[in-house]
Amino acid sequence: MEFVAKIFSMAIAAIFVQNFVLARFLGLCPYIGVSKKLDSALGMGMAVIFVMTMASTFTWLIQTYLLVPFKIEFLQTIAFILTIASLVQLVEMVIQKTAPALYKALGVFLPLITTNCAVLGVAILNINEKFSFIEAILNGFFAGLGFTLVLLLMAGIREKLEKAELPKSMKGMPIAMIVAGCMALAFFGFAGLKI
Amino acid sequence: MKYYLKLGFVLLSITIIASGVLAYINSITKPIIEENQRKTKEEARLEVLPSAVAFDSLSYFNDEVVYIGKNENGEIVGYTFVASLYGYSGDVKTMIGVTQELVVNKIKIIEQKETPGLGANCQKQEFQKQFENKNKSSMLVDKDGGEIISITGATITTRTIANSIKTGLVMLEEITSELEELTSDKEEEIK
Amino acid sequence: MTFFKEFTKGFVKENPVFVMALGLCPVLAVSSSVENAIGMGAAATFVLVFSNIFISLIKNFIPNKIRIPSYIVVIASFVTIVDMVMEAYVPALHKNLGLFIPLIVVNCIILGRAEAFAGKNNVARSIVDGLGMGIGFTLALIVIAIIREILGAGQLLGFNVLPETYNPMLIAILAPGAFIVMGLLMGLMNMKKK
Repeated sequence: MEFVAKIFSMAIAAIFVQNFVLARFLGLCPYIGVSKKLDSALGMGMAVIFVMTMASTFTWLIQTYLLVPFKIEFLQTIAFILTIASLVQLVEMVIQKTAPALYKALGVFLPLITTNCAVLGVAILNINEKFSFIEAILNGFFAGLGFTLVLLLMAGIREKLEKAELPKSMKGMPIAMIVAGCMALAFFGFAGLKI
Repeated sequence: MKYYLKLGFVLLSITIIASGVLAYINSITKPIIEENQRKTKEEARLEVLPSAVAFDSLSYFNDEVVYIGKNENGEIVGYTFVASLYGYSGDVKTMIGVTQELVVNKIKIIEQKETPGLGANCQKQEFQKQFENKNKSSMLVDKDGGEIISITGATITTRTIANSIKTGLVMLEEITSELEELTSDKEEEIK
Repeated sequence: MTFFKEFTKGFVKENPVFVMALGLCPVLAVSSSVENAIGMGAAATFVLVFSNIFISLIKNFIPNKIRIPSYIVVIASFVTIVDMVMEAYVPALHKNLGLFIPLIVVNCIILGRAEAFAGKNNVARSIVDGLGMGIGFTLALIVIAIIREILGAGQLLGFNVLPETYNPMLIAILAPGAFIVMGLLMGLMNMKKK
């Protein structure tokens, strides 16, 4: 029971209180770049959840069974980014072969994910926070979920914004930033939520 | 096939060269980093318990050494320990100097990742001062009916610090009472 | 393009942050104070210049297929060097920037310049390009940080610059303020362009 409670509190923290985009400033490029349409936002979100969970799993294993025993923690950045890059490649190839429909939906987003700092960010955070293996995987999953949530919210707002009358110079990116600011303000309401 | 071997070879050699360079730089910076960390802790210890000139390790708490501070004559003047608890967005670590009567002498926040402008204000002197001359029963935030005035918009941070110090003081009480028993046992044996 | 134009293009015209909207994460995250902004800008400029130099040096030996992974290894190495050196010599700044130092690796500006410029040009031009872009990035960071620090804390580089009676708009140094200041500045840049 205690374990369930812990998972629940981790989920709340990663999705709402310490949201990767709005509170930690991670993964902003896709958040602004891929939030123009709802369906592409959904595709990106799914791809990110998948890669973040996988990346958390593998980077944790590499840190614990490779970098720490050989005392080469200083290679962490190189090892993690290479792991993520090859993981993304691998996922792309596997999905292409086994699930063409899924590939069609996610394919274009996968290469973008390598340089999504939320993925490398969650991998490093898992290590910094001294999470256990299970906690690390769950944290990756929940962080991805939190990213997808705000990405979808943003896409929904921006689809409506298309029709709004705005000063010309505020159209597009600038107004998206201001909307993001308002969302961050709203997410402050979750501050201090602890279970 | 040969082409792919070549690809692998090029990538491997780049990585090996990079690792070599990093290993070399790491061998230079690592001792400096460790020395820095040791020094900051030493300075923090002296700051929170200025009457002590020598520190002997006593026990462990939060993976940090609990020290017993002594003056020039070797008399015990107090203790220092590191209190640590998860605050709003990370562990808040505080160095605490305690007098022999287990009353807080001075505290110093040594590590925090709280929100700038809110929780991060715990580093301000005015905030840290109010913990002085308080014992474990008065480690209570105003919102909970205590005397410690919490930082505006950061009750969690304030509560975390107060609770971490309280836990530390309870721990210290146990250790010192054990210590006293030990010494009184010894004295009896001598008698 | 002359050397000088190559150097200054990153300041305003092709500013990586305001115009190209690259590398937003560190910009918003560390711009809550000018000190952090300068530190981050210097770290990123260092990585940018040195990875540009190396990539333009070794570009002819790298088969096209493994171009990107090789670039990533070079960049990651320089990032790790910066990380270690900063932790040794400026530990306080290192602690403030925290996670965002290793994350320079995935800063799109750096891989973008490697791919778009250093992989195609000679060393001298690559240095100029890296330095220019790095300064452009740093300038953007400093501009945002100045606005946020003055509004949000009434300070500049840690010194009080506004009268005591000013009640700081805390929101400016919190997360929402970062987004809003950024949005307004981008709008301002758009307005100037027209």
